[in-house]
Amino acid sequence: MTEKNPQEPTMTDCADFQDRLPELFETGANLNEEEHLKQCENCTALVRDLEYIAQQAKLLLPIHDPSPTVWDNIRSAIKSDMGQNSGTSSSARSAT
Amino acid sequence: MSAGQTESKPAQHHLRRNPPIVGEAEAIAAAQAGDEKAFETLYALHKRRVYSLCLRMLGNVAAAEDLTQDAFLQLYRKIGTFRGDSAFSTWLHRLAVNVVLMHLRKKGLPQISLEEALEPSQDDGPRKDIGARDLRLSGSIDRVTLERAVENLPPGYRLVFVLHDVEGYEHNEIADMLSCSIGNSKSQLHKARMKLRDLLRTGQRKEAAV
Repeated sequence: MTEKNPQEPTMTDCADFQDRLPELFETGANLNEEEHLKQCENCTALVRDLEYIAQQAKLLLPIHDPSPTVWDNIRSAIKSDMGQNSGTSSSARSAT
Repeated sequence: MSAGQTESKPAQHHLRRNPPIVGEAEAIAAAQAGDEKAFETLYALHKRRVYSLCLRMLGNVAAAEDLTQDAFLQLYRKIGTFRGDSAFSTWLHRLAVNVVLMHLRKKGLPQISLEEALEPSQDDGPRKDIGARDLRLSGSIDRVTLERAVENLPPGYRLVFVLHDVEGYEHNEIADMLSCSIGNSKSQLHKARMKLRDLLRTGQRKEAAV
């Protein structure tokens, strides 16, 4: 019969820790002090990966440009807006 | 540094994202006075960021271009109301986010509340990582891989992830924009990061198998 090492984390320990993880992240808790992480390689890797993803996301700078058609459409719409406005103003003026 | 601690410096994050742009103030003033050329300058200065934001939120080039167009048309109509209380780029990007959210509400989200829409189906959601011994991500993903993984997130997760982790909005701002609770925003962000990890690890496994 094999005896279970009391120090070894169980699946329940991992589930409990991962349930608390969003709050630990959001409060900026010092995860180095988490007892579970001292014993659990798997949850340590999870925390490291989630931190890494959050860090990398901040480096996702804008890289995509819209096609030139977008500006052409904007310019046309502006001209149309201006035409309507000047039409409205002139009709408003002519009404007075 | 924890993933949570990264949000403790939103002001710095916004400043890095919205650095002062030479000539922008003059272009704003001129555009407010009706100078079309100045408006074109503002478009040139901000089109990339507005379009990238739309594209990341929507995951669709045609829709992103349409909404970039809508956002700049709204800018043209509203630029007179910009008073400089915040950075122009912050103001413009908030305007663009609202245009995208309005579009999403019109398109598919109105039948159910946003709170529900933000919760992907069981199949889409991330799994707990218990007992798995696997590849570690750290140091191994490039920008293109991450961009692609973000595109593949379920829409609700993608929205919160892009707004918080990429654009630097805080949970209270996101909750306000999405009409959901702050707790919901936090929970969705965590699930989004977990799901991204799943997607990235799956990609790594596929690469390793080739």
